[in-house]
Amino acid sequence: MRDPGRDSGWRRVWDEPLFKTGVGIVGLLAVVGLLLTALNDIGEISFDFMASHWSFLLRYALTSLEATVISFAVGFGLAIPMGLVRAFGPGMIRRGGLARGVASPLYAIVTGYAEVIRGTPALVQIFLIQFWVTSTFQGVPGISLWAGIAALSVNTTGYQTEVFRAGFQSVGQGQIEAAKSIGMRPTQTFASITFPQGLRLITLPLANEWIALFKASSLLWLIAVQELLWGMDYIGTKLNHPIDAFILGSFFYLAILIPLSRAVTFLERVKRIPGLGVAEPQRRALFAARFARLDRV
Amino acid sequence: MIDREKPMVEVRKVHKSFGDLEVLRGIDMQVKKGEVLVIVGPSGSGKSTLLRCINLLIQPDSGDIFLEGVKVNDPDIRPEWVRQQIGMVFQSFNLFTHLTALKNVMLGLTKVKRLDGLEAEKIARYELERVGLADKADAYPAQLSGGQQQRVAIARALALNPKVMLFDEPTSALDPEFIHEVLDVMTKLANEGMTMVVVSHEMGFAKSVADELIFMDNGVIVEVGVPEEVFASPKTDRMRAFIGKILG
Repeated sequence: MRDPGRDSGWRRVWDEPLFKTGVGIVGLLAVVGLLLTALNDIGEISFDFMASHWSFLLRYALTSLEATVISFAVGFGLAIPMGLVRAFGPGMIRRGGLARGVASPLYAIVTGYAEVIRGTPALVQIFLIQFWVTSTFQGVPGISLWAGIAALSVNTTGYQTEVFRAGFQSVGQGQIEAAKSIGMRPTQTFASITFPQGLRLITLPLANEWIALFKASSLLWLIAVQELLWGMDYIGTKLNHPIDAFILGSFFYLAILIPLSRAVTFLERVKRIPGLGVAEPQRRALFAARFARLDRV
Repeated sequence: MIDREKPMVEVRKVHKSFGDLEVLRGIDMQVKKGEVLVIVGPSGSGKSTLLRCINLLIQPDSGDIFLEGVKVNDPDIRPEWVRQQIGMVFQSFNLFTHLTALKNVMLGLTKVKRLDGLEAEKIARYELERVGLADKADAYPAQLSGGQQQRVAIARALALNPKVMLFDEPTSALDPEFIHEVLDVMTKLANEGMTMVVVSHEMGFAKSVADELIFMDNGVIVEVGVPEEVFASPKTDRMRAFIGKILG
């Protein structure tokens, strides 16, 4: 017996996860749109202003993106070795000998770094680094942006170090032992086992860090970097449209972050190891099976 | 006058402590080429530690380990060189979870032996066929049953063409219905002349396949002998008590 409710085309489309997300976003946009339209009608905000100034903000949005991408990449590169030290330093110290001599000071430095960065406000770090960089490289054009990128890099390195530490430590001891047992050297074990497995485990926390970093880039406004928040404030104050400018700017943040988080979800699904973890593919298999059944009808 | 073959593996006066706990208290044993040695003993008796000392996953505190007469626990010898000549199979399989069965078997060939991909794949497929899993080459470990995972693990170790195979309770983590398929592969291996050291409480396997049986307790070897005889007429009270327990 066919169950019409289950097999109907509508139900089928609804079961596609992408469709549900789409409906959610469209629904949300509709509500926000209605609200904004109402505000526009009573003259609280102005669509005309937004429509004529969005291209002005684009440049500054790209500066924010640039600062985030560069500092995230720097942080990623530094956090891998630092995360390794955090994860495996204590073991090397316990083993003693030469390993201890190298690992002890390294572990102390990296741990101290991560604790200080995570334990102080990002804005304080930005001010300190900006004072230092601008006084060292006085008069270099565009130096405030590079000071900002340096500060964000320093900040995200601390956070990403802890993310990588957690990832490396979550790779099972049995995996490492098996790699050793077939004669792999520590570097090979790291490259073939610990890193690829660890990276899969931390995709989501890394994406969270990227999102947080992109929003934290707005702090650079306070050291006079001409990024998105600076642009919003500039047109808002100059043209006396502060609310419009900030709403418009918020859409830029959303327009960059929502596709990114969808992309990460997609990446997680593609790179996920069959048979491990949550049952997402089973749902997809069920979905495919329903299609197959319909085709035969 | 001494015309005996050099032992494949020889362990002399090996001691190992973890903190205050002395796990191995002077172990002497050897396995000749083509021999199958089964080690039994209560948990905590040091069986697994002994096995891990042989392929240097654990460095002994004192004593010597020889592989074909070469002392391998020597600062001048890289442990990786020793381990690639000794296959090991673990109680919990330890297949690389992010790689397919085929890639699991290939990894040692491409990374350790530095074969090119095509040749490595050829060997890996042959080894998978040997353990009866040619059709599971593209499955990930989590998609395989325990018995299948353990057979892939055996193929992974065999691919490197080891001189000795070490088995650390290879069937203890398996559901009863999968035990025989792993034991079958191991029996086949023994009949083909592989030198094997097996920590296992599978008495049927020990009796039918093993040339020698060692009973360990508290970090020392208590009894050594031909399995049939040791089981039939244990010489020590400890062995007798142990046999009584495992036979229920």
